[in-house]
Amino acid sequence: MIHKFSMNGVNVVMDVISGAVHVVDEIVYDIVDSYEEMCEEALVVKFADKYSEKAVREACEEIKELKDAGMLFVEDDYTNVLDMVGKRAPVVKALCLHIAHDCNLKCKYCFAEEGEYHGHRSLMSAEVGKKAIDFIIKSSGSRRNLEVDFFGGEPLMNFDVVKEIVEYAREEEVKYGKNFRFTITTNGILLNDEIQEYINKNMHNVVISLDGRKEVNDRMRPRAGGQGSYDVIVPKFQKLAESRNQTDYYIRGTFTRQNLDFSKDVLHMADLGFKQISVEPVVGQEYEEYAIREEDLPAIYEEYERLACELYERHKEGGEKDFNFFHFMIDLSGGPCVAKRLVGCGSGTEYLAVTPEGDLYPCHQFVGLDEFKMGTVFTGLEREDIRENFESCNVYAKEDCKNCWCRFYCSGGCAANAHQLNGSIFKPYKIACDLQKKRVECAIMIKAKQFQEEC
Amino acid sequence: MKHVKTLNTCMLKNTLKKGGCGECQTSCQSACKTSCTVANQSCENK
Ligand code: SF4
Ligand code: SF4
Ligand code: SF4
Repeated sequence: MIHKFSMNGVNVVMDVISGAVHVVDEIVYDIVDSYEEMCEEALVVKFADKYSEKAVREACEEIKELKDAGMLFVEDDYTNVLDMVGKRAPVVKALCLHIAHDCNLKCKYCFAEEGEYHGHRSLMSAEVGKKAIDFIIKSSGSRRNLEVDFFGGEPLMNFDVVKEIVEYAREEEVKYGKNFRFTITTNGILLNDEIQEYINKNMHNVVISLDGRKEVNDRMRPRAGGQGSYDVIVPKFQKLAESRNQTDYYIRGTFTRQNLDFSKDVLHMADLGFKQISVEPVVGQEYEEYAIREEDLPAIYEEYERLACELYERHKEGGEKDFNFFHFMIDLSGGPCVAKRLVGCGSGTEYLAVTPEGDLYPCHQFVGLDEFKMGTVFTGLEREDIRENFESCNVYAKEDCKNCWCRFYCSGGCAANAHQLNGSIFKPYKIACDLQKKRVECAIMIKAKQFQEEC
Repeated sequence: MKHVKTLNTCMLKNTLKKGGCGECQTSCQSACKTSCTVANQSCENK
């Protein structure tokens, strides 16, 4: 299976199965689709009014060479990888701890309903947190690297407990030969020098939230009293990012129907000095006025292209204005193995979320949905059926993904969005798919341009 | 080649051998978390 696209003056042909990516000229770009169905003679005739016979034959020759080398039209025989993955003993290697089901912002698109998660306001106790640490150590088998993410609501609203859990985990990791990597996600309102210092000492990664330009951010991310959050958080975030040498953090935002010109928000953040930026489309039901609609897609594609071209230019120039945009980063030569690409995020299997009360869910976005409660940190996993369902939810188990060219880049999308929008973890959310595909194309376009320059 | 320049050699097939050890980071792709395209993650089993 191949996929081709043309953007910013480059023609790209991708071989989906081998992962090979080719930059091609116009003639190969034109004939490659017909190559498998038509013989060379027929191709010469078909393209006679556009290309000379010699040129077509030459292009065919090169296509054939790639095919023979296993870099084009490669057959898909990856389904057997799944047996291999299936045979692994189940382990849990990452937990998302919901430190506080409470928040000091009232973001309009919050899936957690202002931190309450379909429940009530509550804070995790140190006891539950420590039990969660015990649980992951016990469930992680021989896996050494364990991830724990402090999430909310707003985790800084319960920061003393975060510290207690970190301290406990540091003691336990020595005993059991584990290595904990902590991440914290914060909206920044409560950030101060002391907390910053603690985070820099103890957290492998920090995720900070800002939607971009002041008016955009303040419209969607107001404080509890209705006033905006931008003026309070931006200086704190700038200081935090600098104190981490502009690495091992990222600033993330959400764009909605109300700022389809989100490239301006991304560039705004870059101009504020941030170097690690992630801005994603909102996920919401069609009836929400901020939700992305099918009809918005063409405008968003254009916006992504604009951003990709700008980013390419800034990479080229380097220096002050350069930055990383998370969704246009792609590693075409390294990157994860096929097995990992088929199973994706690991929700419900390798990755679980823990509520303030100690209940276990497949991931942070399923929290509060009773039918997905899998057990507790006190009793362990009690719903093997749910775990198995998530385990079976790989790329080849989903009708839409099975033959999608993007499947080894996106890994079958987000199960939570699929459930939320389509009522099944096996049915991906189409708008997210369309945007994902566009982003992968943009990422590859940037690589292709850089590659052309080197040649 | 005159008409084609290949950006990468076929790495995906080669990963079958070491595949699936599971030491790498999990990769939530959703906007509210790490939102990472799987293809951009790194393998810890080099
Ligand atoms: S560490 Fe590498 S080989 Fe192991 S599962 Fe992750 S991507 Fe695959
Ligand atoms: S883009 Fe959508 S259909 Fe394609 S693999 Fe990803 S989730 Fe599946
Ligand atoms: S299901 Fe979605 S939100 Fe949950 S961990 Fe996976 S990608 Fe993230």
